[in-house]
Amino acid sequence: MKPVVFIAAGVALLGAVVLRDAGYFGGGASIPDTDRPATGNAQSEAGYSSVAQQAPATTAPAKPNSARAASPKVDETALRYFASKGDTKRLEAEIARLRALYPQWTPPENPLAVQEVGDLQLDQMWKLYSEGKLAEVRKAIADRQTAQAGWQPPADLLDRLAVAEAREQLINASNLKQYEAVIRIGSTSSSLLTCGDVDVLWRVAEAFAHTQREDRARDAYLYVLNNCKKPEERIATVQKALPLLSRPNLEQLLATEQKTADGKGEFSAIRGDIARQSLADADADPKLVVAPADIATVKALATEGGLPSDALLLGWYYVRRDNPKDAEEWFRKAHDKEDTAGASQGLALALINQNRPAEAEQILFSWRDTNEDVRRVYLAAVANLLAVTPPPPLSTEVLQRMVQEVYAAKDAASAQQLGWYADGLDQWQTAAQWFKLALDWKPDDEPSAYGLALTRWKIGDKAGAREIQAAWAGRSERIPTVGERSIETAAVGKDAGTEPRARQPVIQSRPEDQARTYQPRSNRNDAQASPRARAKRQNRGCSSTIDPASLAPVAALTRGWCLMEANRPVEAAAAFEIALGGSGKTRSDAAYGQSLAYLRAGLSDMAAVAASKAPLDADRRVQVQTALLEAQATTAFDQGRYVEVLMALDERSRIAPERTGLMVLRGYAYLKLRRFGDAEQVFRAAAGTGNRDALKGLNDVRVTRDAKIQ
Amino acid sequence: MTRSARALLVVLAGALLVVMAQSRDARSAGAITAKEWTLYKEKFLDPSGRIIDNANGKISHSEGQGYGLLLSYLADNRGDFDRIWAFTRTEMLVRNDGLAAWKWDPAATPHVADTNNASDGDVLIAYGLALAGAAWQRPDLSASARNIAVALAAGGLETVGDLVLLKPGNSGFAASDRKDGPVVNPSYWVFEAFPVLAELVPDGPWREVDDSGKALLAASMKIGVSSLPPDWVSLKAKPRPADGFPQEFSYNAVRIPLYLVRSGNRDRALLEPFMTQMPDQKGRVRIVNIATGQTRQLLDDAGYRIIPALVSCVLDGTPLPDDMRSFTPTDYYPSTLQLLALSYARRHKPDCL
Repeated sequence: MKPVVFIAAGVALLGAVVLRDAGYFGGGASIPDTDRPATGNAQSEAGYSSVAQQAPATTAPAKPNSARAASPKVDETALRYFASKGDTKRLEAEIARLRALYPQWTPPENPLAVQEVGDLQLDQMWKLYSEGKLAEVRKAIADRQTAQAGWQPPADLLDRLAVAEAREQLINASNLKQYEAVIRIGSTSSSLLTCGDVDVLWRVAEAFAHTQREDRARDAYLYVLNNCKKPEERIATVQKALPLLSRPNLEQLLATEQKTADGKGEFSAIRGDIARQSLADADADPKLVVAPADIATVKALATEGGLPSDALLLGWYYVRRDNPKDAEEWFRKAHDKEDTAGASQGLALALINQNRPAEAEQILFSWRDTNEDVRRVYLAAVANLLAVTPPPPLSTEVLQRMVQEVYAAKDAASAQQLGWYADGLDQWQTAAQWFKLALDWKPDDEPSAYGLALTRWKIGDKAGAREIQAAWAGRSERIPTVGERSIETAAVGKDAGTEPRARQPVIQSRPEDQARTYQPRSNRNDAQASPRARAKRQNRGCSSTIDPASLAPVAALTRGWCLMEANRPVEAAAAFEIALGGSGKTRSDAAYGQSLAYLRAGLSDMAAVAASKAPLDADRRVQVQTALLEAQATTAFDQGRYVEVLMALDERSRIAPERTGLMVLRGYAYLKLRRFGDAEQVFRAAAGTGNRDALKGLNDVRVTRDAKIQ
Repeated sequence: MTRSARALLVVLAGALLVVMAQSRDARSAGAITAKEWTLYKEKFLDPSGRIIDNANGKISHSEGQGYGLLLSYLADNRGDFDRIWAFTRTEMLVRNDGLAAWKWDPAATPHVADTNNASDGDVLIAYGLALAGAAWQRPDLSASARNIAVALAAGGLETVGDLVLLKPGNSGFAASDRKDGPVVNPSYWVFEAFPVLAELVPDGPWREVDDSGKALLAASMKIGVSSLPPDWVSLKAKPRPADGFPQEFSYNAVRIPLYLVRSGNRDRALLEPFMTQMPDQKGRVRIVNIATGQTRQLLDDAGYRIIPALVSCVLDGTPLPDDMRSFTPTDYYPSTLQLLALSYARRHKPDCL
């Protein structure tokens, strides 16, 4: 049996931090002053394996290479006591301790056979000691010394008592995070630092790690791994080190791995934990580079073991690395295994980042009340969903529940988007109400104030618009200009409601329901009275494929709208083409419809032509023109013609407010033209609405600008 | 300095202390009778070595451990001294700076719930260790006393004007810690301890601390109408009672005259108010409203009443009334004060008895 006590190495471990004067045992008469030969000794820095074989640091007379002549005089009092009490645990520990102190000593064959000393008082002291009543041992010793002049307790008892007291003191200090004290106590009681009490070694290592001495902490853990044999303690050692050591130091610990009986590495499970930790760290710090091996390890774990938590780790890792596609994959795996708030939240984020807010909203809806974080992501999905241009088809159910959540959360960003959404559907009353609410919830929200002024103007509530303009004079450049547009948008407000159905061809199924649905709750009654709400829907089928040429112009017009609702714009354009053969209002409607159809189909040149085929009334003209300019701007951007992007957007902004998405487009155009100041300004304005693309844009400005400086 | 040279110095200093302390020891040993100590320890000393504050949730504190060391030394009971010290060392001397955590609660986990120190506890522990180390020739105790004194000088003091003051605890009381800071507690000056600490650490600031304490006390006694100092004093500007504490001469400050007398102080200007203002007509100790001078509460325990009586004896020779001379333990705090008063009278003013 090899010695399991490594006092000398323990001292070496602490060598550099010994604070001789600070110890309470310094110069203590009751504790053998060890003189600590290894402490200041250069050889203490040598490898632990050799240090571990060295002579102990106590006053032990015997060294391995000294004469074998005289066998050491070994105090076996404690040994006898523990044997007589049948305390095998302490007996074994004492044998191990004595073997380490005196390598040539052999324990008695049968400790029980050894004669009792017959010192009842001393027996009592050992009894108190073994019961952990250390203070009472001290009292018993002092009392006997008072009563019996010249009596000296066995050195062994004093030694063990001092070690046990130091252990208590060290553990108390450690529990109170008094790490300097832990190191001080450990350094003055080096015989504490043995494989027999790995907990103390762990605590010392922890104290090093918490006092900016990570290498010393690593040495302490390495000491355990190089010298101590118990498998569970070895594994626990690496686990303890995991949160405290840097990766290179951890790798040194892992290098000591031994094979278990079944041929597996003893640390294989921990390697998984380390890879997991590495991914978790990377989640907290987006700049952290994770070794591909770690990612592969966690992927394997997630696939084999199938723990949703591993898939989640990967999901969060990829979200933070701007890789929403991979993030989606892993979140979806986690989500499929177990539909939890966390998995749903991550999945929703990944979807939002892929511009799929509708799916995000759908997935997160049922978890929206879980906590603030989840609610924020849900509302982000809502705001993003509403900000999509052109407005996507939304079911009544979805719109209704989003409206309820926005209202309940008093979420100004989403309320503003609801305003723009309603505005996009020409539901200005409703839009104005949402802008008003957004402004109530966030009084300094300029875009909402702008929206409110604009929609009031459109409704014809000029007094109301001017009220907003007056309130924002000097605080906003664009609000005061509402009503001064080159095209008289105010005029269209007058006849709002006269032709509700026709003015709203772009939208989906049941606009009248929507109008009610996303009405702010407090104004629900008004909604019933709004023109939009009274509109009747012409519901005719267009699912069959027919040649529109066979239809009369009016029928073709109806079919065109129907196809638009079914999102079949190319066929719709063909139907409108037939309707253009009509006259008057039919022809005008057909031109309007066709231009929208081409726009939706991405054929903006043809849309422009279509719009010119018949005179359009003012607000349709505005609507088509804004859409055309928008398409023009997007196309120009895609083709790298950034000045044209700005020209198109400028022109568009003269007739309609610039939506957040377009502000982002504008920002990137500025950025491409290296007009950093302008880009930053417009991104910042857009970011104020909570738009993620704008936030990303802000960051891109910074990165590009920094790159320029370098 | 080489190790051996330093070691030699330590040995020399130790020898010097032994010589100096032997005269002190001769008068101190047995100043508390074995019977008194037995009565005390049966009620307030746990076998594990902790002094129990029975009136305060059975907690222990560094002050109590310090008193325990001092009283067991005065009773010449080395066994109990050693076990009190063992508990103090392993359970309370766990701070990074080597001072004692001030409070130990048997009901809390960990038992030390607050790692702040209390400077009077540190002073009392160091003082008890220093006395015993010298008297019993125990260099381990002297070394520990020195460590505490050095650590306290390093982190527990604050200079205000030309005064070197004990912070009540290392954190929480300085000018930077609270609006009315620095805040001090005049009763934390265990005056008898400072000459001993000064012997132990000759280059330490303990004489200045001693002198500053008397100056602080004199100033604090001018705050109220009755010339009694408040327990807690703000020194942010002109001394005044500190915020957040009862604005009273109370349980803390009642021990000030005992510490003065035990240190050999006979300054009538300092001591007289404690003779005239502190007790009521029946000799009970008054808790006094600093602003009005009115009595808030009366303390009838012999351990409190003996304090103004002892002042009266050392100033005017009035013997201690009979009922204060015998010891019957009541609560930890007044019982401790009574043994400190009795042991002093027994050795230094036998005509008071």
